[in-house]
Amino acid sequence: MGSNSPPPSRAALEPFATLDPAALAGLPPSSPLTVRSAAVSAQHLYIGTGGGKLLLFTLQSQPQSPPEFLRLLPIPLLSRPVRRLGSLRNVSAVAASDDRSSLALSVGKKLLLLHLTLNDADELEVQTREIAAVVDAVKALAWVGDSVFVATASGYSLFSTTNTAQGLIDIFTLPESTRPPRVKPLSGGDEIMLLVDNVGVVVGRSGHPIGSSFVFNTAPDCIAEVFPYVVVAGDSKVDVYRRRNGAHLQAIPFARAATGALIVASEDAGTGSDVIVVATAYKVFCYRKVSAVEQIKALLRTKSYGEAISLLKEFEDDGEISKDMISFVHAQLGFLLFFDLRFEDAVNHFLLSETMQPAEIFPFIMRDPNRWSDLVPRKHYWGLHAPPKPLEEVIDDGLVTLQQALFLKKAGVDTVVDEDFLSNPPSRADLLELAIRNIIRYLCASREKELSSAEMEGVDTLLMYLYRALDLVADMEKLASSQNSCVVEELESLLDDSGHLRTLAFLYGSKGMCSKSLGIWRILARNYSTGLWKNHASLSETDSLETSVGKMSGEEIAAIEASKILQASSDQDLVLEHLGWVADIDQELATAILTSETREKQLSPEMVVAAIDPEKVGIHQRYLQWLIEEQGCEEPHYHTSYALSLSKSAMDAVHSESNYGDKNNKEFDSDMQFIYLLREKLQLFLQASDLYDPEEVLDVISESELWLEKAILYRKMGQENIVLQILALKLEDSEAAEQYCAEIGRDDAYIQLLDLYLDPKNGKEPMFTAAVRLLHNHGESLDPLQVLERLSADMPLQLASNTILRMLRARVHHHRQGQIVHNLSRATNLDAKLTRLEERSRHVQLTDESICDSCRARLGTKLFVMYPDDSVVCYRCYRNQGDSASGRGRNFSNGAIFKQSWLVSR
Amino acid sequence: MAANAGNKIRNAKLVLLGDVGTGKSSLVLRFVKGQFVEFQESTIGAAFFSQTLAVNDETVKFEIWDTAGQERYHSLAPMYYRGAAAAIVVYDITNAASFTRAKKWVQELQAQGNPNTIMALAGNKADMVEARQVPAEEAQTYAQENGLFFMETSAKTAINVNNVFHEIAKRLLQGQQAQDTPAGMVLNQRPAERMVSSSSCCS
Repeated sequence: MGSNSPPPSRAALEPFATLDPAALAGLPPSSPLTVRSAAVSAQHLYIGTGGGKLLLFTLQSQPQSPPEFLRLLPIPLLSRPVRRLGSLRNVSAVAASDDRSSLALSVGKKLLLLHLTLNDADELEVQTREIAAVVDAVKALAWVGDSVFVATASGYSLFSTTNTAQGLIDIFTLPESTRPPRVKPLSGGDEIMLLVDNVGVVVGRSGHPIGSSFVFNTAPDCIAEVFPYVVVAGDSKVDVYRRRNGAHLQAIPFARAATGALIVASEDAGTGSDVIVVATAYKVFCYRKVSAVEQIKALLRTKSYGEAISLLKEFEDDGEISKDMISFVHAQLGFLLFFDLRFEDAVNHFLLSETMQPAEIFPFIMRDPNRWSDLVPRKHYWGLHAPPKPLEEVIDDGLVTLQQALFLKKAGVDTVVDEDFLSNPPSRADLLELAIRNIIRYLCASREKELSSAEMEGVDTLLMYLYRALDLVADMEKLASSQNSCVVEELESLLDDSGHLRTLAFLYGSKGMCSKSLGIWRILARNYSTGLWKNHASLSETDSLETSVGKMSGEEIAAIEASKILQASSDQDLVLEHLGWVADIDQELATAILTSETREKQLSPEMVVAAIDPEKVGIHQRYLQWLIEEQGCEEPHYHTSYALSLSKSAMDAVHSESNYGDKNNKEFDSDMQFIYLLREKLQLFLQASDLYDPEEVLDVISESELWLEKAILYRKMGQENIVLQILALKLEDSEAAEQYCAEIGRDDAYIQLLDLYLDPKNGKEPMFTAAVRLLHNHGESLDPLQVLERLSADMPLQLASNTILRMLRARVHHHRQGQIVHNLSRATNLDAKLTRLEERSRHVQLTDESICDSCRARLGTKLFVMYPDDSVVCYRCYRNQGDSASGRGRNFSNGAIFKQSWLVSR
Repeated sequence: MAANAGNKIRNAKLVLLGDVGTGKSSLVLRFVKGQFVEFQESTIGAAFFSQTLAVNDETVKFEIWDTAGQERYHSLAPMYYRGAAAAIVVYDITNAASFTRAKKWVQELQAQGNPNTIMALAGNKADMVEARQVPAEEAQTYAQENGLFFMETSAKTAINVNNVFHEIAKRLLQGQQAQDTPAGMVLNQRPAERMVSSSSCCS
């Protein structure tokens, strides 16, 4: 890994100072100073020398300024005297636990654990425990968590302080003749790097490997982690690797002369630190971590977009850059790319930026000052691009730059202009279209965001503006006809001038400017119909409509769009003004407008009826029908109008059908069907409504053959005989005639009918069959005498005999049935009388205590009355109470009394 | 190592072993990224990749350790094959010595490794038939004798590369089911252990 990566070019670290400690400390050249160790804290840099001196430097708060020498510290600055721990000698390696209370150390081939405590007397107590024996001399130790990592010349092993019984566990052995082992905790001790030659194997606390190995290009003298990097010093240079994947990012050489042990120091905190100090024997080199932002900015400055993008991704993965900054960088990238005429990439980055506001790109579309100038935030980003200006200028300037780059290239000078553009120079028109299409893409995406209303207006208006620039009629109309925030004043003259009248009409419509919209639709309809207008409707949007629904003319589309507005409009004058031309194109639409129930306030029927062209009977009729049937209108004159209108239509239809006799069967059938339906509708209405004036209707149809309709009308007028005449004689529908008689419900109706059958008058033959049928069906209820009187002498006897016989038999039967009922009634009557007699002859015993049930007076020898409910009252009370109420208050007229014995037993 | 039962995704540590230049990294690159590089650099230390593979309705997430073939890094290998659910031992069919080395790896795995590790023997560079030195039958016989499954592969032409991983995944999932049963026996042993510890506690 790593060795096949391209030569590192990153500026992850930058040197900011080189120190000569001896000179800074003011030490004369005669007293040599060799750096042995170094340490960095948040504000200070400590340098330890071979001569036992400790030099202190302050790190400046502002970056770039070198550390300032503060003072030489005396070495015994510790609060306690140094103490020798027991008899430990030849300690080869030592490591402290995380809480610094224990030490692991190796003495010879033994591994010891020291537990340090301060006792009450403030004395250090040391407990020593031998924990393991090692084969080789221990070269390095590291203690992280519960694990002590042990490095010997033969390999790495692990000792668990919580599971001491396990002893030493081998991690791996080292190959022969390798460099000394080295153990470096990373990520605050979560992971440990174990070195094999120039390879860093990263393992977890339990010794299992984690991730690919680091391959350093030299065997490192020392290693430090400055998140998100691993910094390694060796071979007179500092190498920077990416912590996450081991990629080699940067190599910083330093003076060859600087020899001696190298020490990399960084703040122990791991993350957050950004100072690296490399100390050689006589020189100290200071480096600072370059922030993610600075690194990206540096790349953008040189227009290395690809690198900047991958770096951004890398920092994003490592969590080294905030979300807002990522958005900021994407926006900045977008603007740079935009000015480099790479519009598609630019918009892709704009879209990746969550903080960018759509108004920021308004200046590319509309010249300042304009309605939205104040909305545009004054963001300069990193000042790497010019302020936004109209697209045309961006493209012109970009093309000039491109031209210059071409010349420079021919002259052999390197440029930072896109290679694609150089090899294949784009045309201005192509660029303009590309730019507009991409801005459209951005604005469309912006519409989904939550924006202020002013910004939303800008987005939609400018979107329309751009659609128009590319003559994207379908998109314009889609935007205009849907919910949008376009500012009409900004667009109307523009759309009018460029002849985008349909878009304008849609726009007016969606903004509730109905009158203006309708005005345009009316003009469009007129122009289409006169052929002045080359059908502008043959657009991509309507193409599909045309193929699927069949050719829909521009005229019809105009009428449809107008009707949509009119159906919702409560403005009566407006509706009636435009009704005419819509009706001229499509009566269905006109009807739909009048009968629409989506408007808030209904139109006045009076005005509507007056406004309907008398020629357009269909609209008139359907409006009245809707008014009566759907709206439940009960104005008699509308009912009459409707009935009259239907009647006239029916008469016209019948008339025209009879006039054109030379039609083929099919046409004839459909005409008949039409007439049938029309008459059915008329008949149903005439029957259902009681509000129209039947005489007026009758006047219209009196001369026609609409007999059933006439019958209905006469019936409404109560002219029974005429109804029967029509039914029985004109229509010869005896069933209907009989039905009508039954409805009248009087016997004389049947006799009237019989009269009509037997003497139709006007020279018509008597209708004996019908008469017989009538007698057959209803003979029993007719008076035989009347019937016989009316039977004419001309009536053939064989026809009538059966019926008359039957009628007479029925009469006799009827009579006998009557007799039976009469006799039965008499028997019952007799029974009742008997019972009454029995009831009246009841014996009643009176004692001294007997009292009147009503006045409670003693009856004694008084005259008294007994009611059927056995209550007894004195005669006076009886006179007051009468027959119908008993002494116990029972009212016999409301609740009659029955006794079992009274019932007729037979 | 292998399984989180209940979850549909099973993690499996897989290690590639074999002589230098047999094409271990190329096999992994082909499997993980679908790429092939003619001059793949020699791996140093080990490289790590992960790739998921769907088998029927289950998913296996391979954690792949691509080890260095150089003899110098041999000592690191145990760290990588320790606890591996599967191992692919790779040799080069145009190089008889690499087959010999592969057998050594198999022996080492049998001696040192986990007995449950699924082992595959891959004869790589199968596209270079004209330079073949190791007959497929010989490798097949060897594989059968040692309980490995064997495939000749080509990272260059992608022949059998996915098949090897797929077969391993299948066997892993089968082995998982087989292992579920004896798991109960482990439970039986536990009370005995506890008794020992409790008696020592009281004494």
